[in-house]
Amino acid sequence: MSDFLQLVFQGLGIGAVYALVSLGFVLLIRAASVVNFGQGEFSMLGAYLLVVFFNILGINYYVSIVLSVVIMAGFGLIFAYTTYWPLRFRGGLPVIISTIGASIFLQNMVLWIYGPSSVQIDGLFDSDGIQVGEVFLASQYLAIIVLAALLVLMQYLIFEKTLLGKKLQATSQDKEMASLLGIPVVTMIMITFAYSSALGGFAGILVAPILFVSVNMAGIITLKAFAANIIGGYGSIPGAILGGLALGVAETLGAAYISVPYKDAFAFLMLLAFLMVRPQGLFGEKISEKA
Amino acid sequence: MLITRRSALLSAAATSTFAIVSGRARAADTMKIGVVSPLTGPVAEPGRIQLNSVRLAAEKINAAGGVLGQQVELIVEDDQSTNPGAVLAFSRLAERKEIVGFVGSIRSTQMNAMAPDMLKVGKPVMFGGTDPTLTKLGNPWLFRCRPNDSYSGRVIVSFITDSLKLKKVALVHSTDAFGTGGKNAILANLEKKGMQPVLVQGYTNNQPDFSPVVLAVKSSGADVIVSYFTNEPDCAVFARQLRQLGVRTPWVGSPSIQSPVTRGLAKNALYGTYAVADFVEDSNPTAKAFADTYRAKHKESPDSGWTYDALTILAKGINDAKSTEPEKIRAAILAIKKFAGTEGEYNFDQFGDGLHGYNVVINNNDKIDYKEHIEFTD
Repeated sequence: MSDFLQLVFQGLGIGAVYALVSLGFVLLIRAASVVNFGQGEFSMLGAYLLVVFFNILGINYYVSIVLSVVIMAGFGLIFAYTTYWPLRFRGGLPVIISTIGASIFLQNMVLWIYGPSSVQIDGLFDSDGIQVGEVFLASQYLAIIVLAALLVLMQYLIFEKTLLGKKLQATSQDKEMASLLGIPVVTMIMITFAYSSALGGFAGILVAPILFVSVNMAGIITLKAFAANIIGGYGSIPGAILGGLALGVAETLGAAYISVPYKDAFAFLMLLAFLMVRPQGLFGEKISEKA
Repeated sequence: MLITRRSALLSAAATSTFAIVSGRARAADTMKIGVVSPLTGPVAEPGRIQLNSVRLAAEKINAAGGVLGQQVELIVEDDQSTNPGAVLAFSRLAERKEIVGFVGSIRSTQMNAMAPDMLKVGKPVMFGGTDPTLTKLGNPWLFRCRPNDSYSGRVIVSFITDSLKLKKVALVHSTDAFGTGGKNAILANLEKKGMQPVLVQGYTNNQPDFSPVVLAVKSSGADVIVSYFTNEPDCAVFARQLRQLGVRTPWVGSPSIQSPVTRGLAKNALYGTYAVADFVEDSNPTAKAFADTYRAKHKESPDSGWTYDALTILAKGINDAKSTEPEKIRAAILAIKKFAGTEGEYNFDQFGDGLHGYNVVINNNDKIDYKEHIEFTD
């Protein structure tokens, strides 16, 4: 039983990581109708910025986090101007390919600057974690679960309860109509890119102490986050969270009780099952609602 | 880090160009040895140390009078850290007829890729890849200067049973070619001793979470963990989760668990663990002297000495043969016995394997201490 609880905690922890990265996807899908395959590189860049500020320049850890996140927001704007802006009237596919290109470029740029070796970085807390009965709760996983919950709440409030959120949603649904209604469409899209990049960077900073900082740190996580996004419902915020957590717990339990080498396969089997049985995902909008 | 990497690349590129230019200027005066080395790409960093080491060997040989009265000159080609890059690099070297022998790659896959061309060229190639089959390809020109992987499994099992006196083995391995090869070697050697592991657990590379593996180890009742990790971050994540979940079982691993990168990532989670290692500074006087010279020149400690041994042995082979004829050099290298190298004592067998044992080291609070050397004669 204690093993089971331990596995569930680990599953929730890694699931919260998937959920956080998945949130970044959802944002751009909702506000700009862009599937950004550079989302994982946002996380990687955020983590490397923390390495630069904290490990190399020796700035206070929390100040380093704030600096990294702010710079990532600015980077989101540059990313939008170079990757999305020139192709904005060409439809979805050219932009997707452009984000894949950008992600390859970013990986190689970081590889050139920092080399291939992983870098260790401290977590948010000095303590490794706490022992509750037979179960060990790792502090960084606890922090990720709590912060992911807070970010989700914040994102939900912004999208559903503020005028800004409504404008962002209107921009996503119909740019021409939104623009006729006086919504500054360009500004809205730029805000979304900046926020999505900052969020991705923050997710990278949170997972860096667990996974270490390397060029490929976000690879498999980004894929699973995208799967979580589909399982939860394409473009749905609560779906991204629940999809991420479900994926994390399912693959951890599957690995422990069925087969470790097939751990990654469980995640994608789950994706396939959802695509076949419930393609709109857990919280997906029915197509008819949008038409 | 930025500066080191760039300057390393620049200096490597500059020196190799220089070698080629000066080589043409005085073609007849020098004994030319081709070197395939990763100057660019992901393994350029360890490649730099290997290149420095082979240059150090050339300097020492030249200071002692060279080979057959000629100074050794290295012709370096970049393998770009890839298999196609290695094939291209070797073919560039192969075109130069005046080259008498080669120093190949530490990567078994690159050696496999280059081996057909090496067979065609028909000149001795000293290499470091540890896939046991490389010397069994029927290619008479390959000479290995590191112990092959069949010995790492043998040494681990022998260390566990004879030195640690432990019996219940939990085996954790990557499911890739390296990890599976290691697993098979451990299982075969355990079986020879009439033992069965209590757990055999494979995992796929690049895992963010190892808790299912750790819990499996914990509940297996093992008294020793044996591991074959391919990627350093995987090893570090496993080590930390192992300690977090309270497992303190002795742990003997393949060489990657004592690499500086893994230790930097895992910190105290790896203290007290054992590893097999081919190059250990304190394992013999030759290694110690080499490391001291290297440090004096490059202000850092070398993590490998095989390229130094490779060139030294090739030069000895040519000198012993008193000829640059490939067949004679080959016979001379195969005749080398009880030769003290940095990686251990070389006793070439009929297949071209020079080394037949490994060192065991222990991580004492991040300091790698030499524990013992286990050598096999059969």
